[in-house]
Amino acid sequence: MSEKVLSIDKTTLDMLDKAKKDGVETAWDRKEALKAPCGFGAAGVCCRNCTMGPCRVSPVPGKGAERGICGATADVIVSRNYARMVAGGTAAHSDHGRSICLDLYHTSPDGDIKVKDEKKLMKVAARFGVKTEGRDIYEIAHELAATGLQDYGRQFGEPCLPPTLPEKRREIWRKLGIYPRAVDREIASVMHASHIGCTADAESMIKIAMRCSLTDGWMGSYMATEFSDIMFGTPKARHTEANLGVLEDNQVNIVLHGHEPTLSEMIVAAAELPEMIELAKSVGADGINLCGMCCTANEATMRHGVKLAGNFMQQELAVVTGAVEALVVDVQCIFPALAKLSESYHTKFITTSPKARIKGSTFIELDEEDRMGSAKKIITEAIMNFKNRDRSKVMIPELKSEAEVGYSVEQILNKLDGVVNSHIGPMQSAKPLADVIVAGVIRGAAGVVGCNNPKNVHDEGHIEVIKGLIKNDIIVVVTGCSAQAAAKHGLLRKEARELAGPGLKKVCELVDIPPVLHMGSCVDISRILELVGTTANHLGVDMSDLPVVGVAPEYMSEKAIAIGTYVVTSGIDTWLGVVPPVTGGPEVVDILTNRIEEWVGAKFFVEPDPHKTVEQIVARVNEKRKKLGI
Amino acid sequence: MNLFQTIFTGSKQALAAAEGIVKKAVEEKGRDHKVAFPDTAYSLPVIYAATGKKITTVAELEGALDIVRSLIVEEEMLDKALNSGLATAVAAEIVEAAKYVLSDAPYSEPCVGFVSDPIIRSLGVPLVTGDIPGVAVVLGECPDAESAAKVIKDYQSKGIMTFLVGKVIDQAIEGNVKMGLDLRVVPLGYDVTSVIHVVTVAIRAALIFGGVKPGNLAEVLQYCSDRVPAFVNAFGPLSELVVSCGAGAIALGFPVITDQTVTEVPTLLLTQKDYDKVVKTSLEARKIKIKVTEIPIPVAFAAAFEGERIRKND
Ligand code: SF4
Ligand code: SF4
Repeated sequence: MSEKVLSIDKTTLDMLDKAKKDGVETAWDRKEALKAPCGFGAAGVCCRNCTMGPCRVSPVPGKGAERGICGATADVIVSRNYARMVAGGTAAHSDHGRSICLDLYHTSPDGDIKVKDEKKLMKVAARFGVKTEGRDIYEIAHELAATGLQDYGRQFGEPCLPPTLPEKRREIWRKLGIYPRAVDREIASVMHASHIGCTADAESMIKIAMRCSLTDGWMGSYMATEFSDIMFGTPKARHTEANLGVLEDNQVNIVLHGHEPTLSEMIVAAAELPEMIELAKSVGADGINLCGMCCTANEATMRHGVKLAGNFMQQELAVVTGAVEALVVDVQCIFPALAKLSESYHTKFITTSPKARIKGSTFIELDEEDRMGSAKKIITEAIMNFKNRDRSKVMIPELKSEAEVGYSVEQILNKLDGVVNSHIGPMQSAKPLADVIVAGVIRGAAGVVGCNNPKNVHDEGHIEVIKGLIKNDIIVVVTGCSAQAAAKHGLLRKEARELAGPGLKKVCELVDIPPVLHMGSCVDISRILELVGTTANHLGVDMSDLPVVGVAPEYMSEKAIAIGTYVVTSGIDTWLGVVPPVTGGPEVVDILTNRIEEWVGAKFFVEPDPHKTVEQIVARVNEKRKKLGI
Repeated sequence: MNLFQTIFTGSKQALAAAEGIVKKAVEEKGRDHKVAFPDTAYSLPVIYAATGKKITTVAELEGALDIVRSLIVEEEMLDKALNSGLATAVAAEIVEAAKYVLSDAPYSEPCVGFVSDPIIRSLGVPLVTGDIPGVAVVLGECPDAESAAKVIKDYQSKGIMTFLVGKVIDQAIEGNVKMGLDLRVVPLGYDVTSVIHVVTVAIRAALIFGGVKPGNLAEVLQYCSDRVPAFVNAFGPLSELVVSCGAGAIALGFPVITDQTVTEVPTLLLTQKDYDKVVKTSLEARKIKIKVTEIPIPVAFAAAFEGERIRKND
């Protein structure tokens, strides 16, 4: 491995040393082994969409091969590849949302999954036009689920988009011809249009991709979040701890990794059962220690305060501690490398979803008919594995940080009520937030989201961007692996307000919040849309008018590409800290970083340097403020 | 104009006004002329609290303009805006001090102008015991005398010390508000800058009762914010100057409640257009709880009337 610093997180560096000593490889080693990535792929000018190819055209206009065998230009190839990434991301989020819908459809008063937040059920049912008056809660839930599911495969009529979406935005999409239809339909539409011999116009291809992405943010992800809240409870502010130091020396450590809350909810419930705790004690452990990784961690921490073991690039390192009895996963962002890695330790790598089987793992399917039974089975596996822990191989890092999590939109509005004068009102509104932004006390708001990427120094982008923004009085909300980076570095504590600028610090004191708010998992970026949309509606403006930005400093997944695309299409400027594979298509670059602004009032910025990113955001935020006259 | 720019503009106007009147003082009285407010050991209290320096001559007063200039940094951040508000306060104090230079008795009935140290000391105990639950600064002009009187009498009935600045003084008189220190309604002056005389009350409280060392501005501000339960009601059209004064109040921890449409800042700068709710809104904003329950008798009954003499024909 080169001498380059790989992470700013000490536990990560310590565990990388241990991995070296233990003779196991990590993603960083594999990246090294792959040498320099292929320039054609990196520029997006490699096409494999038919067997006449693969074709690779020159990323430099006017030099070398300019067209593929079918005649596709660099821009066409790049735009198609880009669109397919968007479709991949949308599909991932949407299938997640779909299973949540199906879970809601199968809720019952005596089943494993119940309706926990009736108030939210009523609110969401109302927006889907489901009658609620005088009806049984579960009848409402089932009809809501069925109605929501229709928007995945609807062939006629318009889907139900939330009222937080400003009318002006809807109009923009209509005029542009990108008003979303059904989720699956838009994914299929991208796949079709990018087939050989279909769309060969970058502009049109990108618009199709934009339309697809909207079914993610405003439909798939949105429903996933809303329905998860209905079944598992709407998150409230709570305390937790973060980083690999949360693993316990004499407890059965179970790390939950993946995305869908259905699995984690069941395991959290099962791990609290006295019989499970007894069983753990019977094998000599003090108890069961549940920790999370990636978005499952976010789901479980937002609702139960489950500790955060780490983010994406730390998933292997959890195993390397030698202290994890079971690494339980479902879908998305799970390194298949975990199968081989866990062979070198006692860790059981347990897969649970038929959508993500991994060779070499122990597969225990989460049985739809008996989820609790499956969860118990999984925990039992972990407990029974405790005795196999090789103490000589264990090294649990000491480092962990305090964090406050659980900032759903509902929680944020509740907190804002605390600063509303009861003789002026109104309560439960975004007015206080809008007020401080308009007054300039807070300059703007930023959603910092996304993954880790070994191309960047692990966590550095997240932390530097977040610190830079709060210092400039830009309030930050976080989701995904960015949230965990923030948690690990102590930025989710109220005390972190000392790092904020004077205005944000004052607001944090008044509202009693940290300067960085954890809003959940990647699908919970829909919560950010909800908050921004609500604020825009309150001010009677469009989202693109607000001094609000999105940042993905270390993104890697196709989901992140889909997210970035729907965020921009929603009117929010988005900064990418990793160069996307589009540089070989000059027109595509021009569209994404320039022309798209004329269409939707926002665009992409690509800037790997976090400090420059902060400067650009501050400048852009001030520009938007000026335009709005605030 | 955005809120911060309004504040900066007002502060620059305050500076210009201060420069103007100081120039006049120099011309008419010379640089060696003595500068002092009556009956105080704290010189120019705002400047003394901020810098630890006492201003004794017109030359020094002229030099104090630099303090104002240094506090105006036109960068759109909260701390800069609050400092700009403090700049306006300092400029107002300079203007008011110059008035006392240019005239032996710049204030006359009903206005009191500068509030002397002995009065502040007499206010100390009731403030600490909560007998005076709050200090209201009512400034500007209400749409009519009736609403002005209603608001002021309501404060009076709650034992709150109310200082009046501007046309609202005339409206209070018209509305038959009984005034006087004992009655806890004190008209200060008609110019906006006379509001500084209540600011120096708060600041001297920090120096006298809080034992804060002059020059320790941060501690002075903290003391006022924590211990002096003051707030501002700004009525009628708000000039940039008034808004920047308001920023000064906010810097001291005093919320501003106005009947005008402004860019609100939760808990700090609020719009309340309903005059019947101004008092309640203000008390909640300053977190003032009235200790004694109001007794439902026809005459306003409160400590403010303790000093009132019943005249024969009443
Ligand atoms: S679609 Fe065109 S560019 Fe792509 S592989 Fe086939 S021939 Fe080559
Ligand atoms: S932020 Fe990225 S890496 Fe982390 S869970 Fe989400 S998609 Fe996966």
